[in-house]
Amino acid sequence: MYWENYYLPETVDEVLKHLKDSNGNTRIMAGGTDLMILVRKGMVKTQGIIDIGNIKELKYIREEGKYIKIGALTTHSQLAESALLKKKARVLALAAGCVGSPQIRNAGTIGGNIVNAHSAADTAIALTALNAQARIKGPEGEKEKPLSELYTGVGKSFVDPTKEIITEFVFETPGENESTAFMRHAKRKALALPILNLGVWLKTNSGKNILEDVRIAVGPMDYKPLRAVETENMLKGQPLTEKTLKSAQETIIKEIKPRDSFQGRAAYKTDMVKVFLARAIVEAVGDLGGRIDG
Amino acid sequence: MVKKTINLNVNGKQYELEVEPDIKLVDLIREKIGLTGTKIGCNNGECGACTILLEGEPVASCMMPAFKAHGKNIITVEGLGTAQNLHPLQKAFLAYGAVQCGFCTPGMLMSAKALLDKNLTPTEQDIRQSISGNLCRCTGYKKIVDAILAAAAELRGEHEVKWPVTTGEDVVGSSVTRVDGIPKVTGESKFANDYYFPNMAYAQALRSAHPHALIKNIDIEKAQALAGVLGVYTSKDIPGPNIVGIMPHIKDTPVLAGDKVRHYGDAVALVVAESAEIAEEALRMINVDYEPLPGVFSVEDAIKEDAPKVHEGGNMLLHRKMYRGDIEKGFSEAAVIVEDNFKTRMNEHAYIEPEAGVALYEGGILKVYTITQGAHYHRGEIAVNLKLPVSKVRVIQTTTGGGFGGKIDVSLQVLVALAAFKTGRPVKMAYSREESMITSTKRHPYYMHYKIGARSDGKLTAVQAEIYGDTGAYGSHGPGVLTRTAASIVGPYEVDNLKVDAYCVYTNNPVAGAMRAFGSPQASIAYEALMDELAQKLGISAVEIRRINGYKKGSVIPTGQVLTDGVGFMETFERVVEKSGFNR
Ligand code: FES
Ligand code: FES
Repeated sequence: MYWENYYLPETVDEVLKHLKDSNGNTRIMAGGTDLMILVRKGMVKTQGIIDIGNIKELKYIREEGKYIKIGALTTHSQLAESALLKKKARVLALAAGCVGSPQIRNAGTIGGNIVNAHSAADTAIALTALNAQARIKGPEGEKEKPLSELYTGVGKSFVDPTKEIITEFVFETPGENESTAFMRHAKRKALALPILNLGVWLKTNSGKNILEDVRIAVGPMDYKPLRAVETENMLKGQPLTEKTLKSAQETIIKEIKPRDSFQGRAAYKTDMVKVFLARAIVEAVGDLGGRIDG
Repeated sequence: MVKKTINLNVNGKQYELEVEPDIKLVDLIREKIGLTGTKIGCNNGECGACTILLEGEPVASCMMPAFKAHGKNIITVEGLGTAQNLHPLQKAFLAYGAVQCGFCTPGMLMSAKALLDKNLTPTEQDIRQSISGNLCRCTGYKKIVDAILAAAAELRGEHEVKWPVTTGEDVVGSSVTRVDGIPKVTGESKFANDYYFPNMAYAQALRSAHPHALIKNIDIEKAQALAGVLGVYTSKDIPGPNIVGIMPHIKDTPVLAGDKVRHYGDAVALVVAESAEIAEEALRMINVDYEPLPGVFSVEDAIKEDAPKVHEGGNMLLHRKMYRGDIEKGFSEAAVIVEDNFKTRMNEHAYIEPEAGVALYEGGILKVYTITQGAHYHRGEIAVNLKLPVSKVRVIQTTTGGGFGGKIDVSLQVLVALAAFKTGRPVKMAYSREESMITSTKRHPYYMHYKIGARSDGKLTAVQAEIYGDTGAYGSHGPGVLTRTAASIVGPYEVDNLKVDAYCVYTNNPVAGAMRAFGSPQASIAYEALMDELAQKLGISAVEIRRINGYKKGSVIPTGQVLTDGVGFMETFERVVEKSGFNR
């Protein structure tokens, strides 16, 4: 027996009411693709489930003013196929398209993926590169948190699904001279966790030959998606040349020290992180019509 | 538990059912609605066998609470087409050989339908992407991709899939329609886990907590007292000798471990209960008092003088010698000698259908519906261990979802038979994917030392090899596998002087047994690499050295047998060279 109660609310307010009434005994389920495994293995125990799958108000991808807003119940398939994302924040569409398999992408949601708090979750890498904020609703009202602050330990989320709910992710729409890229390497093309994934957002000058700003997110390295801050700082203001890429590669492997893991060896990941960083920058800059000078 | 009402539409039919709030969608479809075309291969979202369409989108029904489908529309394989009116996808799967064991087929068809519903002009890449969440262990996917392309063409109104396949009277040399094909594409085929009988109970085995340990005591009292438990059995409850083994002279595998466990897969107790869940709960209430023993986990360790003994007779199960010609003379004639060590790893069969069986004991006849690749062998082991005459035992092979050699050994057949025999109830036993992986036989990991000599013209003169196969805790087919390796020690290449020592060794690893090509693939890793090395040293091409030594009519193989007819090696080889364009 997994649980005794099952609720299918239609609004966020109803969810909050159920959470309040059940006093921590009941937890939210989005797509269920991660939770079902945890429950089956006895790693999560709960008396009741609040299935938020029917809440229409949480399913959207839209542009509002300077921002792109994504409802937490948007599935990976919807992200991967979104014309808006493909055009303006490709890193997220590409990342979502790498998750699991078509079956998993059709059920799994971005909110669930983030609350599951796997540091290598592809969407988490993309959202980190995009500097996204999560909107959370709970008993004390609404709050916003940067993605990087949603992780409190290995597999542990700041968001407590027996008390609160992520409703939305928000990030600034990449504008003129801004672009993104996503790289991923796994043992197989489907149903395989990443050995390494890397997301980049960057901004060039109008001449497209100087890197004005950049964000680099890498997984799986730590309990949370890692920002390569030193490498970012090193890159800012640099000309887009082979030489710059070379020194960025040297910087990132000093800053990020991959470890041996079930997915791959440290030495291999170290080599690959260099390759991915250079490729991601070349691709993002290429997208803007720029190129790397020799 | 308070039941809850669920409404859903399956294949166009509306259902309103009272069910437990935690039932999974796949169980609702299979057990409450009775549509068993949807399969369970992993219960973990990994294999795609349980794929159904929820509002037109393929999803893994094993990963979904049923209530996610409340108020929604579902299509299962049974909703695709009927035997009289097959959907183009079903016809194409049959026509292109995309259906083999058929266990992945329902899920595959659902993913393919979802694709074609959106896109009638898919590229091969689109197709591969759409079935990337569906595993198949039989076809290699190519035939499935071809079938989906053909179905798309028919749906576009271009050309129809050629159906039925069988051409004319003369079956030899022509394509024929699989005899069991149609039920496999409509979901009507009954695999072992698809059998349900009134009043059916469920059995589950407790697996060892140690790879090597003595069993001091098994306390089943609490488990027995649990409501819904019909019986808890240990080795003492087996009427017969409590031993099985596929090779008649090596009966070394207990049905339920009595005084000792030799690997993690050993069953130590069997619970029969009203439901699989109760049985599982009861397993957790059994207390086994183990005295852990040091284990051996590699052949290197197992053959040491002072190694812990997996079986009383020691760890060396077999030493097979294959000596022919004059090995000294052979090497003395060689212009070049190459020598090296090789290691191969354990492989899992991973047939998509986990082991399952249902047993009934009625009117003095014990009937077992089960996966099997050896119904007669299984019947014999059941009869001996339950002390029944063979004439009172029937083993019925159900449609079997992939075997590859892994379903020859006894898995759950004696256990499920025992459960029915003791309780008098129909009993089902179905392994989880995890249990299947822990208990099933693997490809033998090998340690090999090879030395090969060749004349300056490329002709092999001598092969000397020592082969160690890790058969794990029990013999299974190990001696046969090692013997086969000795007999194909240099694969399809002639050599007159050879000295092969092949050893089959017990360890506390998972049991290794029969697997596709039975001992030949491991050796090929070694000798093919050395053939390349010989060619390099002799300054001839890799293709040429194989032409010089490849089996032809009249060749003598290591056992001394002369090949007289149907020696297809050179023809096959030349075709491969031609098609691949390889010429180095
Ligand atoms: S994916 Fe559901 S049974 Fe394997
Ligand atoms: S036909 Fe695909 S697994 Fe057997």
